[in-house]
Amino acid sequence: MTTNIDNTNTSRRNFLRILGWGSFFTTLGVSSVGFIRFLYPNVLFEKPSTFTVGSLDEFKLDKTANYQVYENWKAEHSVWIVREKNRIYAVQAKCTHLGCTPNYFAEEGIFKCPCHGSRFRFNGENLAGPAPRPLDRLAIYIGNDGQIIVDKSRGYTFKEFNKKGAYAEV
Amino acid sequence: MKPNKNIWQSIRYSRLYKSIFRHGYDDTAQNRILQVRSNIFLHIHPPKIPQHAMKIRFTWCLGGITFFMFLVETITGILLMFYYRPVPEYAYMDMKYLEFDVPFGIILRNIHRWAAHLMVVTIMLHMLRVFLTGSYKPPREFNWVVGVCLLVITLLLSFTGYLLPWDQLAYWAITVGTNMIRSVPFMGHEGPFALLNKYHDVRFAVLGGTEIGANGLLRFYVLHIVLLPAAAIIFMAVHFWRIRKDGGISRPL
Amino acid sequence: MEREHPEKKYVFPDLVFMEFMTAVALTVILLAWALLVNAPLLEMANPGISENPSKAPWYFVGLQELLVYFDPWMAGVMIPAVIIMCLMLIPYLDRNTQGVGRYTFSIRRFAVINYLFGFSMWIALILIGYFLRGPNWQLYWPWESWETIRQAEENTWNLPPLIGISGLAIYFCAGMIIPKLVRIKFYERHGFKRYVLVMLSILLMYFVPIKIFLRLAFDIRYVLVTPWFNV
Repeated sequence: MTTNIDNTNTSRRNFLRILGWGSFFTTLGVSSVGFIRFLYPNVLFEKPSTFTVGSLDEFKLDKTANYQVYENWKAEHSVWIVREKNRIYAVQAKCTHLGCTPNYFAEEGIFKCPCHGSRFRFNGENLAGPAPRPLDRLAIYIGNDGQIIVDKSRGYTFKEFNKKGAYAEV
Repeated sequence: MKPNKNIWQSIRYSRLYKSIFRHGYDDTAQNRILQVRSNIFLHIHPPKIPQHAMKIRFTWCLGGITFFMFLVETITGILLMFYYRPVPEYAYMDMKYLEFDVPFGIILRNIHRWAAHLMVVTIMLHMLRVFLTGSYKPPREFNWVVGVCLLVITLLLSFTGYLLPWDQLAYWAITVGTNMIRSVPFMGHEGPFALLNKYHDVRFAVLGGTEIGANGLLRFYVLHIVLLPAAAIIFMAVHFWRIRKDGGISRPL
Repeated sequence: MEREHPEKKYVFPDLVFMEFMTAVALTVILLAWALLVNAPLLEMANPGISENPSKAPWYFVGLQELLVYFDPWMAGVMIPAVIIMCLMLIPYLDRNTQGVGRYTFSIRRFAVINYLFGFSMWIALILIGYFLRGPNWQLYWPWESWETIRQAEENTWNLPPLIGISGLAIYFCAGMIIPKLVRIKFYERHGFKRYVLVMLSILLMYFVPIKIFLRLAFDIRYVLVTPWFNV
């Protein structure tokens, strides 16, 4: 009989211990999830991700040239608009190595990153230096009014350069 | 001379003085022990230590210097907080204001910056000293681990402080630094086996955005002035306490 | 355990005085330094213009220098994480209880040599990154002008996957097995698990200069190329 009582006692004690510690750690876990979620606000006060860069005739291509790099939007939105014969696309001005802003050298047709010396062709293809992949491109499309719109929230890595949205047909 | 001495004597033996300072400078064994025992700041030390531990060429005072640098950083840092606002629009202006318009502002800023550098130097040298004298060996293993934590905290303190001036130097150094967080395996959006996009990865948690901006500056500021110093103080308390509990400064067997 | 040392000294005022004088000396040094040299402050932060070169704070420049030889997830994440882990493990891996409380080399050869190697590599990388790197993170001697812009080297190549995998496997297996055969006592003193951890951390440490050497001597960019990550 006594053993029986002892057993009920220990099992009750065990149950209470599990209940106690269980609720303690559950509370701790749930509050840490809440804390992590706290670090990710629902609204961001960053620049709007879509912006109009202008109509197509602002991005002309010389008869002799194969491409033309437009720097008008680099300062404000960190993006180069590149016009080729049949397409136009937006190259993100952010080195794929560590995110420095490369500079464009028109006479060579090359982007050079000042941080670790990566170099890219006019179309973003990586030529030299530590950059692991070509410069990313941003979503671009031509709106109903003929204005070209760039959406910075959608990026394309080089594997997706032929996807719809990574360039606009001209 | 004599009246002077009398004034000093009357102060020395007044009830007020004796209620604050219990023990004088009498050079007796008992008094020298009481001096340390009854003083909250001094009783971090034991009243007596082996001669060996007193040798400058053994410890080079490096741990103590690091702690002193922390105190200097705390004092100058709190003073700088009177003028600094962690907002992109104001941060840089406040730095200029401190440099050119606040009396002694530039000196405080310089001391804060240089002492931070010195602290990183002395903490690395302290670690070297502790290693070369085998002072991490039993029973002091855990205190070495606490020390490594303090090294990490110190580096993070310096790193978070680096962004606050909001100048080109700060901005691009932190850009390079935080871009490495992109490539954390699994948890960064550009690392191997990336699971999260750039709005949900660890870098976002650090910067409060996808780029270094107002949220990032504020987060670095809060880390720099509250969270990391608090962590440092807790770890230092354990570190110092454990030195005593683990048998004092290491000595030859 | 440590036995009572016969020579004991009073902390007050001897040690307290020494500490006070150190604090005074440092205050003077800091004050003089602050009066003579101003902390740097460049133009206001501008996300559109990258500084060239943009260097990390000096204590992280060693890691930035490693970026030349390793991808960011290695140089910026794995290497520092492994360094911290290994540092924390040191007291639990070192079985040699001798040489406490004094500077000694002869009875702690293995520990001292490896620690000093790691420490000096850290310092060397910082010095190279801080003093010898100029625009485009190219090598410039201190007396050379940064006006002449140099380009990054272009002709790097990767080891084929098979050679890369076997090279790494040989390096780590040989590094694990050979010391066990040559230094049986060392192995026995540590036991299997501890031995593996010791050798792993040491092999990882020496992998860094080996990779640097491979890059500088043979222009090898990656030792191992996989679809997910490159080493």
